[in-house]
Amino acid sequence: MSEGPGSARRRSLGFLLRFVVLLVVFYLIVASRPVNDAVIVPFTAGIASVSGRLLNALGERAEVVGTEIRSSSFGVNIENGCNGVETALLFGAAVLAFPSSWPRRLLGLLAGFVAIQFLNLFRVITLFWIGLHRPALFNSSHTVIWQSVVVLFGVLLFLFWASRERRLSAESSTADERSRRG
Amino acid sequence: MTAARPPTASEGFRLPTLSARAALRGLAGFLLALAFWFGFSRPYETTVAAAAQALTNLFESPDVTRLSAGSGEFRLDRRDFPPGSARPGLPAPDIHFNFVLLAALFAMEPRPLEGRHLARFLAAAAVLWVIHVIALVFQIQSVYATSLGAWSNAHYGRFATNFWATGWHFYQIAGRFAAPFALWWFFGRRDLEPTVEKPGHRRAKKRKRRTG
Repeated sequence: MSEGPGSARRRSLGFLLRFVVLLVVFYLIVASRPVNDAVIVPFTAGIASVSGRLLNALGERAEVVGTEIRSSSFGVNIENGCNGVETALLFGAAVLAFPSSWPRRLLGLLAGFVAIQFLNLFRVITLFWIGLHRPALFNSSHTVIWQSVVVLFGVLLFLFWASRERRLSAESSTADERSRRG
Repeated sequence: MTAARPPTASEGFRLPTLSARAALRGLAGFLLALAFWFGFSRPYETTVAAAAQALTNLFESPDVTRLSAGSGEFRLDRRDFPPGSARPGLPAPDIHFNFVLLAALFAMEPRPLEGRHLARFLAAAAVLWVIHVIALVFQIQSVYATSLGAWSNAHYGRFATNFWATGWHFYQIAGRFAAPFALWWFFGRRDLEPTVEKPGHRRAKKRKRRTG
């Protein structure tokens, strides 16, 4: 059964409205001082610590102090906007705004968060390497290229999850219909 | 013949098709937009600075704020700043790099260079330009409200300080990433366009089915 474009557009706008409201709510939670101090800063320090270990395993001599990774000639401080949380907020708001069952949403949120953090870890390591060995490329790689790549990845993850969710939902609905008819 | 079941809530949603081709188109769009962004950042920043200055001046009496763009920064000046004092430089790419993201998302759609789709992209880019101007106004007011010591305290109350600083922080943390996604979702999705069937198309299909 198909629906007209008007109905699809209404659903689409409803999704957009829920997405924006959720994003603002998530932002207010994450930006509040207690959450920032108790969750975001330790989490960011964790990212710095794991990145430092991986960099050392790759042969770079990196030292980690709090949220800062430094070597003898270069250092970066991982701040809000560089810890993958911003893409996770965007992904989370989109997943929760999309119609689905709560278990599937939670599974999607968890898997998406892990995937985003893996990519972000790779981003931190490559940016440190670029800063150390190709400092002229650091600013554009940091601001434009990697930020865009991580956010695009978040959007693609959401589209993948939403397509899968729609298919699963249609399959289970068809199965229910069949079993009702005997 | 079977009765059709009602669609589930998520089935009613139309989603763009994810495929290797869409990914390739997105990648090509990303690279092209990156080249364009590197080439045209400077003139773009000049237009954003001029509009943000005009908007800021609207609410000033006398109008003292002066903005200029150059070397990847918006230089903030006021006619009442003491001569010889340092002028704040606001990093420009932080505000407008998300143009690349918008272009990559639009490029993912089939036939991205087709007239109607291109027009939608230009409309979304125009809205993004307005967002960049507003973001810069928020950043300027945030600098005024929080970074000029006693002057800030004298001219901005608690509510105003929080309003401008939170607005700018929201753009930095969530807004600049969400804006291209929301604009693409609103403007760019070909799957939401009404389909126009060519006359004779349906008949041709029927004939094909009968003979096939």
